[in-house]
Amino acid sequence: MTTPDRKTLIGKVLREVKYVLNEDDLRTYLPVCEEDHPAFFSDGGAQATGYERRVIPPSFAPHIAVLVLLRAFDWEDFFFDYKTGTAMFGEQELAYLRPLYAGETLTIQSSVADVYEKQGKRAFDVVTVKFSAADQQGAPVFHGSQAYILFK
Amino acid sequence: MDTRAKMYFDEVQEGMALPSATYGPMDRHKYIAIAIILRDMNPLHLDRVYARERGMPDAVQQGPLNETYLYRFLTDWLHRPWDIRKTKLRFSANVFPDDLLTCGGTVTRKYRENGEPRVDCQIWQQNQKGEKIIFGEATFTLPERK
Repeated sequence: MTTPDRKTLIGKVLREVKYVLNEDDLRTYLPVCEEDHPAFFSDGGAQATGYERRVIPPSFAPHIAVLVLLRAFDWEDFFFDYKTGTAMFGEQELAYLRPLYAGETLTIQSSVADVYEKQGKRAFDVVTVKFSAADQQGAPVFHGSQAYILFK
Repeated sequence: MDTRAKMYFDEVQEGMALPSATYGPMDRHKYIAIAIILRDMNPLHLDRVYARERGMPDAVQQGPLNETYLYRFLTDWLHRPWDIRKTKLRFSANVFPDDLLTCGGTVTRKYRENGEPRVDCQIWQQNQKGEKIIFGEATFTLPERK
């Protein structure tokens, strides 16, 4: 079966996603990833480091990017069957405009920025999704892009 | 606790190596927690039989968990964790349980942006066999000595 031309996806606006930097995820993440800086555990620890309140570890941000983008689209949108196909992460860019605080709600907007085909041992498409995350006031807090390698 | 000596902007020079760090051995039990956080129950990360049926030697560690260690290599060493400004990373190989991950980097540029001292560097992560897992670029700020 021929895969439809994924270049038609360029410009496609994906679903808006909201994500709360919630206590359950942080309580799971911090010990597993041995993130032990006091700023990640209390407002006091954060203020002693110069932050206004408790922050999350920067290493948690790539997880946020992955999980919110997985909610922003369905694999079928990319003409891809996740159960039978092979997908890999490609290049990822993240730029931080300020620290991320525990408990805050982020709204993530994303769209397909680029699609191109490459030929390795097998042919594959690289689908690049650009996104930006804003806080409750609508101010941008981080932005970036994530490429997905979808084998044909 | 990270024991690497911290540096100041004045001391950093282009071409110098950042102090490396090694993490591990990787623990398959952590993959369950990461799957819960990512809301991604792909059996490739959780079921070694499923992974072997697809040609992998074992369950595949999630990419964001690999990134955690590359981020920690920087943010544990920085004076404050959110002194990181940006990253641009490429994933080139998989990580498996019991792997050891060593992270390192080289300073490529030292400059100011809107008055803030900034350092660009090439960073990388490799396993115990010397295979590159992730490579790319990062930008962070460092304080100046008063």
